[in-house]
Amino acid sequence: MNSKITNWTASDDAMVENAIRRGATRRELLSMMLAGGVAMSAGGLILGRASDAIAATPKSGGNLKAAGWSSSTADTLDPAKASLSTDYVRCCALYNRLTFLDQAGVVQMELAEKVESADAKTWTVKLRSGVTFHDGKSLTSADVVFSLKRHLDPAVGSKVNAIAKQITDVKSIDPTTVEISLANPNADLPTILSQHHFMIVQDGTTDFSKGIGTGAFKLETFEPGVKSIFAKNPNYFKSGGAHVDSFEFFAISDDNARVNALVSGDIHLAASIKPRSMRLVESQPGFVLSKTTSGNYTDLNIRLDMTPGDKADFIKGMKYVTNREQIQKSVLRGLAEVANDQPISPASVYHNAELKPKAYDPDKAKFHFEKAGVLGQKIPLITSDAATSAVEMATIVQQSAAEIGMNLDVQRVPNDGYWSNYWLKAPIHFGNINPRPTPDILFSLLYASNAPWNESQYKSEKFDSMLVEARGLLDEAKRKEIYGQMQVMIAEEAGTIIPVYISNVDAITEKLKGLQANPLGGMMGYAFAEYVWLDA
Amino acid sequence: MRTYVLNLIVHRLLIAGLTLLIVSFAVFFATAMLPGDTATILLGQAATPDAVAGLRAAMHLDEPAVFRFFRWLTGLIQGDLGTSYVNNVAVADLIGGRFVNTMRLAGITTLVSVPIALTLGITAAMFRGSLYDRIVTVLTIGVISVPEFMIATSAVLIFSVYLKWLPALSFANEVTSFWQVLKIYAMPVITLAFVVSAQMIRMTRAAVIDTINTPYVEAALLKGASRPRAVLYHALPNAVGPIANAIALSLSYLVGGVIIVETIFNYPGVAKLMVDGVSTRDLPLIQSCAIIFCIGYLALITLADIVAILANPRLR
Amino acid sequence: MTLSTPLSSKFSYSFSWVGMIGLAIIVFWAVIALAAPHIIPYPIGEIVDEDYFGPMSSKLLFGSDYLGRDMLSRLMMGARYTVGISLAAVCIACFSGTALGMAAAVIGGWFDTVLSRFLDALNSIPSKLSGLVVAAAIGSSINVLIVMLAVIYTPGAYRFARALAVNVNTMDYITVARTRGESILYIIFSEILPNIMGPLLADFGIRFVFITLLLSGLSFLGLGVQPPYADWGALVHENISGLPFGAPAVIVPSLAIASLTISVNLLIDNLPKKIRDRSA
Repeated sequence: MNSKITNWTASDDAMVENAIRRGATRRELLSMMLAGGVAMSAGGLILGRASDAIAATPKSGGNLKAAGWSSSTADTLDPAKASLSTDYVRCCALYNRLTFLDQAGVVQMELAEKVESADAKTWTVKLRSGVTFHDGKSLTSADVVFSLKRHLDPAVGSKVNAIAKQITDVKSIDPTTVEISLANPNADLPTILSQHHFMIVQDGTTDFSKGIGTGAFKLETFEPGVKSIFAKNPNYFKSGGAHVDSFEFFAISDDNARVNALVSGDIHLAASIKPRSMRLVESQPGFVLSKTTSGNYTDLNIRLDMTPGDKADFIKGMKYVTNREQIQKSVLRGLAEVANDQPISPASVYHNAELKPKAYDPDKAKFHFEKAGVLGQKIPLITSDAATSAVEMATIVQQSAAEIGMNLDVQRVPNDGYWSNYWLKAPIHFGNINPRPTPDILFSLLYASNAPWNESQYKSEKFDSMLVEARGLLDEAKRKEIYGQMQVMIAEEAGTIIPVYISNVDAITEKLKGLQANPLGGMMGYAFAEYVWLDA
Repeated sequence: MRTYVLNLIVHRLLIAGLTLLIVSFAVFFATAMLPGDTATILLGQAATPDAVAGLRAAMHLDEPAVFRFFRWLTGLIQGDLGTSYVNNVAVADLIGGRFVNTMRLAGITTLVSVPIALTLGITAAMFRGSLYDRIVTVLTIGVISVPEFMIATSAVLIFSVYLKWLPALSFANEVTSFWQVLKIYAMPVITLAFVVSAQMIRMTRAAVIDTINTPYVEAALLKGASRPRAVLYHALPNAVGPIANAIALSLSYLVGGVIIVETIFNYPGVAKLMVDGVSTRDLPLIQSCAIIFCIGYLALITLADIVAILANPRLR
Repeated sequence: MTLSTPLSSKFSYSFSWVGMIGLAIIVFWAVIALAAPHIIPYPIGEIVDEDYFGPMSSKLLFGSDYLGRDMLSRLMMGARYTVGISLAAVCIACFSGTALGMAAAVIGGWFDTVLSRFLDALNSIPSKLSGLVVAAAIGSSINVLIVMLAVIYTPGAYRFARALAVNVNTMDYITVARTRGESILYIIFSEILPNIMGPLLADFGIRFVFITLLLSGLSFLGLGVQPPYADWGALVHENISGLPFGAPAVIVPSLAIASLTISVNLLIDNLPKKIRDRSA
């Protein structure tokens, strides 16, 4: 190509050709040429769903079919035990929470009318009246007390036991009022209650297979590991209720099969597709991608209490040798934002934008590795498909390290039992953290000295005291400042390398309307079934 | 002859009990050796020591695994497959419908693939060295060289995505007519038939060719019998033993090995159930599935042995 | 190839012609496997293409994979694993399966019963379970992977060999050999083996295909080939999303597998008569 453009190569030609074959528009091609990276084109094809949704009028009726990515005999309808996205989707259809987070990440009331506190320590929850369960019983404060107290009982196996421990007591004041007492002040309680596990079930429930809740759908069929079918709840407390008549949900674990089922018209939504599957969806008319960036990340954890992580220079070297741009562009095909080694994503108002990601710098990395005396050693790096894109990230870090003479021995271990056997345990390993709504939850779970998932065994008294201080603060500006400093501490001192925040991409048919991004995760924070409608 | 076969069946049944017991023990030890237990796996990232201990007690997993295993075994003798650890549902209920699905898929695949495989194998042997033989060989090997997931994915792409003739998922739609059954089973059956036929075709061809060279078939040929006739009436009966074994081995794959087809076509069968059982360390479920696979396999090979004996009078 | 009679020379010439092609392709892949580390154009973990599933070009002969890595380099290195591991595993599985199968057929009685049932039991344990156990207990290495593959495919080889040998065992000349007082080893290797060699070789060929494909499955359980390396089956698997666009990243390794497995089987079918058929 003999043009005057200097940095234009044959591979760029091929790239544009590809884009044209995929049906890219002229404007997209232009922006692609300007950016000089195909990653941008991926970003360009993501439609802004929000504006679409507001303009359209919902239609009633139809049978919604959607597929998640994992399902097994361990599927449950017990919100406390919910662990997979498919569990969240089912629970969102059947139950409600006291509060929920809207598209902007702002707390809204659901079953609660008001959640109030004067000191952030004792909270009063006023319940909405006239709410009934699927079996006709009315919602009362006893149900809320039962639902919240369950999480404190180890025998329940609650996923949020660690967070719920700050709740010292839950009391029923009158049939529509509940008082929650905390061990220490926590201004975030309304946000905490918006997590899926804190859904409200009926007082005394032991058998959850019936799925009796207050939600927009009633359970028709539930076969663990096969499928669930729901019918619209005609007595739903929200006006109008769900738009669709019925909702069928199951999982197709094979990524290609899920996308194929969508484009062949068998389902309306294929949740969480891999970046490499985007091209098929884009090439077919009538399908769009819905992107959510909400602070999900896969991190490389180096334990500070084991060799070689006990040498600060080794960790510094690893931070410089991690090519974040390449991970964002090649591994995630642009469906990610470059991150700066701390867990608060730009989606959060508490994100510290002044803290810049460390640039890829092999020379600096080599300097630090030499100083740590690790060059020439074979250092094992544990990775697994259990953590999103961790195998690809590992190979990228390995390749960059190899170029400066650092020998990382990538060991891919099975998904099976990864979280109980390798995560938190191996000296260098990958983790995957789902988005959490508040910095306090993230820091308490992941970085406090006594945190249950302290991935790099980071311990700092200063950090711990700042965490407690910020938790009780009702002054937002001051709080943001403290959280900002804590982000710097994590990025500089902890052994967790967070290269990018990964976007979740759901592929949907254009007939499915009303789907919007939500900070709690893909599929509208898993609650999409209630809000979407089918355009015939 | 009949008594001989009866004796063999009784003998095999007795030994089958022993084999099942051995398999059961082996599966128990294997499961016990896997790191983690149901409580830690279910809690996943939330598996703090307190939570694990609490859940373990609640699920009655705190008593030694050996006790639980023997309790399951004694239950099995009374015909009870036990209760799943993870969801407290009777294993028999979990397996029930899926077992029917698996057998249906296996049955249809057998009906489609065995006649085709035998025909191709025998004719290839008849015309050994011909262009036809070569084409059969290259196609057979070519077809099984393609990984199963690729055959399945290609089929979905062609028939569902581009042509829109067939549904991509086998269980997403209600079955109301024979035509729909055909549409639903077409792709899984084709995929599996591709996978299992090759071994049968190749082994049939090899076994028949091997017997063609025996003196008595040569004698038949010398007496003026045509080559097809010599193959069908003289060579084939003698090759039945190895062919039956090859068929049994191929078909045994259909009982427990169809995980890829189950996953891609979202077809609920027992293979996926076993995988779920293993990943959640759900001992009663793993054991029950393993027993089903083992019985399926033993039944097939015993059948093959009986066929071999019936076909070769000298073996009696 | 001497010209004995016009008919047989014509036949043996055409047999070896196809067989030679098969052999040539196998040798070709073996050479690639041995030379790969020295001739690959790019390090196999390096991202050389901004795009993914890139087309064939003069810079990237076989295009790029799902991360934008050079497929040609990955394919060449993959040959080391697919050719080496599969051959080693299939040899072990077929040798032990056949030896045991013939022994069981000739010795018979309790030896046969116990061995047969033991291998039946072994075959009944799901390979996913045993794969995970081995990965957890022994850890991952290429040798473990080879042994594991061999163990999984030995019972099948045994069963087929036994079925063949049992048939031959009833022949008159075996009875004659027995009454002559020949040793069991003599009967196995001089009387039975030559007479079942043809089907055994065919079995070898088919088992080779199965092992080539299962290889990548076991890698996913954490046994064996570790990233950034990948065997051909794993290359197909990781690039399967390129299938709708006919990306070379998924087509080329599939063709490589097919070329190897078809060659092995064609070679077996066209081995000189002396080896594959009864020495009559």
